[in-house]
Amino acid sequence: MTVPILKQGDVLVASMQEALSDHALIEFRDRLSDQVGRARARVVIIDVTALDVLDSFATRTLRAIAYTARLRGARTVVVGIQPEVAFAMVQLGLTLESVETALDLEEGLALVGAIAGSGGHAAH
Amino acid sequence: MPLTETRVPIEDEEDIVTARQKGRQLAAARGLSLTEQTLIATAISEVARNIVVYAHRGEVVLSAVEEQGRRGVMVVARDEGPGIPNPTLAMRDGFSTGNSLGMGLPGAKRLMDEFELSSTVGKGTTVTMKKWVR
Amino acid sequence: MADPRLAWMDRAHPLPHEMGVDEEEVERRKAFLEFGEDDVDVLRGLRELARKYADPVIEEFYGHILAFDETKSFFRDPKVLARVKELQKDYFVRLTEGDYGKSYVANRLKVGAAHEQVRLEPKWYLGMYSYYLRLVAKRMQESLTNDPAKAFANFLSLMKLVFLDIGLAVDTYIFARESTMRKQQEAIRELSTPVLQIRERLLLLPIIGVIDTHRARLITDSLLRSIRDNRAKVVVMDVTGVATIDSKVANHLIQTVIAAGLMGASVIVTGLSSDVAQALVGLGLDLHKLNTVGDLQGGIEEAERLLGYRVERLEPSRSPPRD
Repeated sequence: MTVPILKQGDVLVASMQEALSDHALIEFRDRLSDQVGRARARVVIIDVTALDVLDSFATRTLRAIAYTARLRGARTVVVGIQPEVAFAMVQLGLTLESVETALDLEEGLALVGAIAGSGGHAAH
Repeated sequence: MPLTETRVPIEDEEDIVTARQKGRQLAAARGLSLTEQTLIATAISEVARNIVVYAHRGEVVLSAVEEQGRRGVMVVARDEGPGIPNPTLAMRDGFSTGNSLGMGLPGAKRLMDEFELSSTVGKGTTVTMKKWVR
Repeated sequence: MADPRLAWMDRAHPLPHEMGVDEEEVERRKAFLEFGEDDVDVLRGLRELARKYADPVIEEFYGHILAFDETKSFFRDPKVLARVKELQKDYFVRLTEGDYGKSYVANRLKVGAAHEQVRLEPKWYLGMYSYYLRLVAKRMQESLTNDPAKAFANFLSLMKLVFLDIGLAVDTYIFARESTMRKQQEAIRELSTPVLQIRERLLLLPIIGVIDTHRARLITDSLLRSIRDNRAKVVVMDVTGVATIDSKVANHLIQTVIAAGLMGASVIVTGLSSDVAQALVGLGLDLHKLNTVGDLQGGIEEAERLLGYRVERLEPSRSPPRD
């Protein structure tokens, strides 16, 4: 099951539908990096609404994606982290430092100016 | 006293997802809240991944437990891998799971109510964790 | 849950084993009581006897109940009394039906719950049971006068089942009391971790009292859910009322801030005095993650600014004309 990546202008939106194995996550990371370059994307939005767990590996992968995207000139916004998942991440000591986050896809798009709105939470 | 028991063999990374999904199911059946289910699933993910990364194979045993009138879930992750040379160091907070170093054990401990680590170099490692219904 | 992507939350909904009395649990109880197939056979063998004496036993039983003020009051209404007698007869017969599985247990739990609901206390419930048992024992003895040893053995089998029943009935009482306590605790928790929406997308979280790890987690949990439910972008977390802010508490606050950040919400911490802040920094805490503003009003103003609001004071209205 691969993660669908949609292009909306210069914004790439990847919706993670379900738990990915480590190996599928790595495949996703590489494919997304590739697409960022090809599409000359300005923004990458990763929607994790459907994920019921974000463990250390998944978190590291998201950070790696953001890092690669930044090298190619794109911002990454992770959206849709659910309350229970955010809670577990923080208990586990995981951070998405330097990765921007927003409540959901709508907020994420607003944050990057793709749609009008009040935006999300910029990285510190 | 353990009740129903589910053994999930951990041989490759797909098993990590299986183990945590079964963990979540058991937690739900025991009456743990959604948040607690997520904590358990996340803790299982961490210890199961340790097995894959360090020992290559092992098992996660999920069971319903009851002690002194409390209902709960017990997760035992065991392997016959290389073992942890310095368990105290591995359990010290500050061994962040954010880096590629560190085994995520202090984090997993924070997620659960009870946590026990026993390891012998050359023999293997067993992590026993419990979470109780509040 | 409307969003199909959140289906995993519904799938993980707890099963209705609320009382924890599932089949496995019952088997364990039977094992502990040493209630086995032999006992089932004995009880089945008593079926004819039970059917024969059901009515007279029930009548005597209720005669006793109605003779005491404490228990009479529950059965004042003749319709209630008639219904209850019927249920009791059914209960009596079931003791010897030979099926002591899932539906038997469910029925016992229901009976216990019904008595708890009408507030018949355990002491009377158990007293009634005892009287009942003696009536049954007498009948069993009468039916086997030539073999008292067998009568006794039969009675012992019945006792095992009766104790299984009493255990279940007592559990329903305990469960009902605990449910009440749980509801009260939930109410207290809500009161102690209020999250207020003071403007669209803006939440106020006033924290008052002592913060220990457990409470900190409750607060964080509650806040995160509110962020999702209210689509909040900014949270003003006021700690003026927090009893002691030591490094542990400060760490809890920082964690709450980080968690909120994962959901796209910024947190402004108000009420953290500069003395306390300095002391915490002195202890080695990295407070730069916290956006602090001295007082609550300032914090709310800052929050409104972040959300793009501008608050202006209107010109004072003219005083109303004198009559």
